[in-house]
Amino acid sequence: MAASLASKFSRGWSLFGGLGSSLSGMLTTANEMTCSNLLSQQQRTFIQMRTVLKVVDNSGAKKVMCIQALKGKKGARLGDTIVASVKEAHPNGKVKKGKVVYGVVVRAAMQRGRCDGSEVKFDDNAVVLVDKQGQPIGTRVFGPVPHELRQKKHVKILTLAGHIA
Amino acid sequence: MRLEKCWFCSSTIYPGHGIQFVRNDAKIFRFCRSKCHKNFKMKRNPRKVKWTKAYRRLHGKDMTQDTTFEFERKRNRPERYDRNVVENVLKAMPKIVKIRTEREERHHKERMKGKKGKLAKEAKQELQQGIHLVKAPSVLQEEPSLTLPKIKVKVFQPQSEENHAMEE
Repeated sequence: MAASLASKFSRGWSLFGGLGSSLSGMLTTANEMTCSNLLSQQQRTFIQMRTVLKVVDNSGAKKVMCIQALKGKKGARLGDTIVASVKEAHPNGKVKKGKVVYGVVVRAAMQRGRCDGSEVKFDDNAVVLVDKQGQPIGTRVFGPVPHELRQKKHVKILTLAGHIA
Repeated sequence: MRLEKCWFCSSTIYPGHGIQFVRNDAKIFRFCRSKCHKNFKMKRNPRKVKWTKAYRRLHGKDMTQDTTFEFERKRNRPERYDRNVVENVLKAMPKIVKIRTEREERHHKERMKGKKGKLAKEAKQELQQGIHLVKAPSVLQEEPSLTLPKIKVKVFQPQSEENHAMEE
């Protein structure tokens, strides 16, 4: 029994040996392809100093750069408030380029745990500009916002938003 | 509590499980586990991945149209609690599941039935076409017993009878 098994295996190995060189070449190329595919998906992380965020309201700013997260050692996440400086702005908006503003992160590419244990993540990093009291500067909010903002007492943003995810 | 369906594999997502991705046009993609999420990130089409429900439905592997599926439907109006209704629903659930599994088994049987005849036909055809690989044609001519038995015998029998008739 054992002898027959051994003979079978040996035959199998010899077969593989014959094809070995060509097979291994193919395998390595396939591995590289999958690796590059996976690596193209960047590991998403906290919103920290120098993160550039899109502004999704009509306050006049287009892009802001985070200069401080008001909570958390590592940085801000979905629903947190940040201090930011306006990097790009519309010519005649309420907010001018170079101003320091407060903003609420309404969309983050890094996933955030929900109260029931599942997770949520978004396409991009987006912010809604607010004043120091937490009232939004603009009068409209574009795109989806998470319902967790209600717990953070940003109900005004939720009412302005079109879609709540 | 709402039980959602996974976008990739169409399995049920129970509360607290999985991850959801919200695209900028507010379309929500829910995934039951990281396997499905990763496959989505790799931009795989669930219709082309064999283990998903979408593939199995598309290729006729699973039962798709059945009245037992009508019970499980998304309703946007919340149902008002009624004790009697709840009791009846709880009674009906195992019954419906039983009926569905029976029908699925029948569907599977039906699906597997056709293949046996087809396989036998194919095997026969292959044997007929490739018999020269087993035995050289010259050998076959010398020894007619080596050819496919039934067919040859049938061909030979009437000939022999005819020969007898000729002799008489």
